[in-house]
Amino acid sequence: MAVIRKIEIRNFRSIKSLDWWPTDGVNCLIGAGDSGKSSVLDAIEYCLTTRRSLSISDSDFHNLDVEQDISITLVLGRLDDSLKSYETYGDFLSGLRRDNGAIEEEPGHGLETVLRVNFSVSGDLEPKWRLLSKRAEDKGLERGLNWGDRLALAPTRLGAWTEHNLAWRRGSVLNRLSDEKPDASKALADAARDARKTFGVQAEKQLGDALASVNKAARELGVPIGASAKAMLDTHSASVNGGTIALHDELGIPLRTLGLGSTRLLIAGLQHEVSDRASILLVDEIEHGLEPHRIMRLVSSLGAKTKPAPQQVFATSHSPVVLRELSSDQLIVLRRSGDGSHVPLAIPGEAQGTLRSFPNAFLAPSVLICEGASEIGFIRGFDQFCVQNGHISLQAAGLAMVDCGGGHADHLYQRAKTLANLGYRVGVFRDDDIKPSAALQAEVARLGGITFTWEDGQDIETAIVMNVSEGILLRLIDYAIVLHGFDFVGDHIKSASGGIETLENLRGLLYPQQHTITADQRAIIARAAGGKNAWFKSVGAMESVAREIIAPNFDGVTEDFKAKVNALLVWGQTFYG
Amino acid sequence: MDETEILNSDRISITAPAGCGKTHLIAACLRASADKKPSLVLTHTNAGVAALRSRLDAAGVARTRYRITTIDGWALRLVGTFPGRSGQSPSILALKNPGFDYPAIRAGALSIIDGRHVQDVLEATYSRVIVDEYQDCIIQQHGMIMRLSEVLPTCVLGDAMQAIFGWGRNVLVDWTKEVEATYPPFGRLDTPWRWDNSGCSTLGKWLLWARGALQTGAPIDLRNAPEEVTWVQVSGPDDVQALTRAAYTASPVAGGGALIVCDSRLPRRHREIASRVKDAVVVENADLSDFIRFAEQFNFAAPTAADDLIDFAASTLTGVGAAQLKQRLKILLAGRAQKAPNDVEQAAVAFARNPVPNSAVELLVEINRQSGVAPLRPSILRACIQALNGCVSPIEFYEMAVRTREQSRVLGRTIPRRAVGSTLLLKGLEADVSIVLDTESLDARNLYVAMTRGSRRLVICSTSPVITRQI
Repeated sequence: MAVIRKIEIRNFRSIKSLDWWPTDGVNCLIGAGDSGKSSVLDAIEYCLTTRRSLSISDSDFHNLDVEQDISITLVLGRLDDSLKSYETYGDFLSGLRRDNGAIEEEPGHGLETVLRVNFSVSGDLEPKWRLLSKRAEDKGLERGLNWGDRLALAPTRLGAWTEHNLAWRRGSVLNRLSDEKPDASKALADAARDARKTFGVQAEKQLGDALASVNKAARELGVPIGASAKAMLDTHSASVNGGTIALHDELGIPLRTLGLGSTRLLIAGLQHEVSDRASILLVDEIEHGLEPHRIMRLVSSLGAKTKPAPQQVFATSHSPVVLRELSSDQLIVLRRSGDGSHVPLAIPGEAQGTLRSFPNAFLAPSVLICEGASEIGFIRGFDQFCVQNGHISLQAAGLAMVDCGGGHADHLYQRAKTLANLGYRVGVFRDDDIKPSAALQAEVARLGGITFTWEDGQDIETAIVMNVSEGILLRLIDYAIVLHGFDFVGDHIKSASGGIETLENLRGLLYPQQHTITADQRAIIARAAGGKNAWFKSVGAMESVAREIIAPNFDGVTEDFKAKVNALLVWGQTFYG
Repeated sequence: MDETEILNSDRISITAPAGCGKTHLIAACLRASADKKPSLVLTHTNAGVAALRSRLDAAGVARTRYRITTIDGWALRLVGTFPGRSGQSPSILALKNPGFDYPAIRAGALSIIDGRHVQDVLEATYSRVIVDEYQDCIIQQHGMIMRLSEVLPTCVLGDAMQAIFGWGRNVLVDWTKEVEATYPPFGRLDTPWRWDNSGCSTLGKWLLWARGALQTGAPIDLRNAPEEVTWVQVSGPDDVQALTRAAYTASPVAGGGALIVCDSRLPRRHREIASRVKDAVVVENADLSDFIRFAEQFNFAAPTAADDLIDFAASTLTGVGAAQLKQRLKILLAGRAQKAPNDVEQAAVAFARNPVPNSAVELLVEINRQSGVAPLRPSILRACIQALNGCVSPIEFYEMAVRTREQSRVLGRTIPRRAVGSTLLLKGLEADVSIVLDTESLDARNLYVAMTRGSRRLVICSTSPVITRQI
């Protein structure tokens, strides 16, 4: 079946302009709400619909500006024989150069033969469908697609209501399963006649009083109604034209009464069954009405896991489950650019890992890329503390966090760069003990990415230990003892001090007010707390440290540390997009 | 011949002697093809298209099974659709200068096909190509179809013995050296259906034999021919008596028709013969050139307009008495007439006083209606009346004449009961009787075409009963 090689949308709803080269397989649009994703699906449907009348209103025009025509052009490739027919469409066939996307007026050697279908509406609100061709226009020729080709091309849509497809109706997927056509008109007409007769007898009983009054009045007024009036089904309401044949289960319950999810699943399955001759599939919100395990089933019946792709699918999604199931080349981030036009951004292959582990990051407007579990826990602890005190949560403010699991700092910036290129607001939260390459950091900064880190050379444990009061320090050590046991923490102190310092001594110094620890001793604690087997190196541990120990005692930390943490929180709490 | 084998071959040529079921075979192929896509059927002339289409209709072939057009018409449309790939100036499409434009269009079509620009489009559109009357292809058309057959399976049908259209720069393709070299010969149709169907199998077989004799230069002794063949001895082309008698040969079946074959170089002779034989009319060329010439020269405003129109009528009808009518008109117009004018004379006066297309039609119709008047060149007269009827004002006459001609090209010719013409004009037509008058002027191929026009009887006029021809 034909596939859409290019979509050009102008002045349609929220989209001022969009030029997009989708793939032959699954094209799932993601992006912030109201970014125009469903408008793209509507645009495809309008352009290829078999509905003869579409109700277009002023609100379908971009910014209500009816002076600017709505125009949707689809470049159709991989044409069937009937669409490529020289006799029918000869003057309208063009050639697409696949390597650079140039369209030549006439088909040619090495070019893919394509048709350009255009849907346009001007101020009179009359929709108009036609094929585009300069040379046909020069000859004064104008035509649209044949009805038969239109029927074959009409997309199947899994929208909010899809039960339409569970009956043998125009354009429904059941009609594509086979060439068989049910003809029920005779049977239905007979049934309708029987129903009228049968109901007439019952009506006499049910409406006896009313009928008696009618008879009396008619007789008195001399209105000719024969012997007596009868209550029968109105011929109009009992007549059946054409008839609809729908799928029912074994008890005779129409399948359209299945749950939304099941209906969509079944239709996607049917569509998959006929994918060799199926048209383009449009799916609003893949996850709609489905549990995660059924989402996976739907995704696979869309053909997302099959190579080569069995059918072309345009979908939208807001579900991390869907994102995890799809590969990066099946996802497109739809963004509005500075000049107001929409841009489809392809997710590069290198983001596949991020996509699998942190699908949420692609669904939020802002992403904080954290070096490891400690950074995640640290932020979450503060976030939870803020929420307890009546602030908006970072998640609600649209922030997603990505755990890079340690490693070289450049790794963080690579991810940051990818996401920034896709239009996300990006922050990097990292230790400073291993520095990223300056060029990469500068590039991310140029893309608007912001870096949050500690003093020169400090990791998170050092930063905390060096910037908190002794009271906080003692509580940190005690919490580490709770987590790991006295011996474990003691050993860390011993080895961090080369055997000269003990845990007991340090606690003794920290506990009473009259003693203070030296800078060297603080450094020993910092070394002991950090490193390979750091005391708080898990999301949960660092979360507790931040929420229970540091945040409630925030006046016990240095101004510098306070400023850094506040900057990070303020950035995260600011809604973007 | 088995059509499935033809449908399974990529390139194939079939020799189809006259009347051996070529159309039947094409129809069978079109019907048997399992492909959903139509076949492209190509032939040479618009009349050929019309004739073939009506015969395919009669054979019950659905029109969705094929697209039929002329080779040049197809090339013209291809270039019109993909002008940019043709490498030719779009101005050639207007056909203002046919001598230059047609070769350019063929070259353009060749470069579209040769450049593989629309290979997928052609494959998507047609299941195969069938070319009829392939012997009439000129070299350039053969070149184009050869490239087309690299894209689509192609079957060409024709008969080298009926290749009579080659002259001057019109060099026809050589059947053995060029056609069969590209399209391996699949065989020769050898059942003379046309004669079998009319109960004259012996004549049909003998004509197939005669074809061989003409091909090899062997003598044909008409005295040994079957009874359906009559030899009329004539002393020469001026033996009017014998020729006229021969031309009167009746059809063995009631209402049957006859075709009378004359020297192609002497169109005037066609009219002489036709005027001498009752009910015989002249077959016109597709260009209707005599009519077009008249339409170009005729001037409604000229003082001689009425006389010119009467002369034209006289050239298309017998028994008009043009001289007398013109004389009467002069007298009537001068107001010196003693006798009241008859209908024709009245119409002539009406035209002379008001020379417009309407009154011209009136005059032609009245002349035709006179007793003793018989048609000689009915297609010309009909075309003229049709063109005049289409005119609102006199200045449109020539334009309407050309349009009428183009319409008649597409509609095809109606076959008169007894028609006189050359082999070039009569090829493609058939009747019950074929009467070959100017046998001496016909070469082997023309003679074969002439001999095979009748399905029940053949009359050959010659000085000698033995005929020998060299290819």
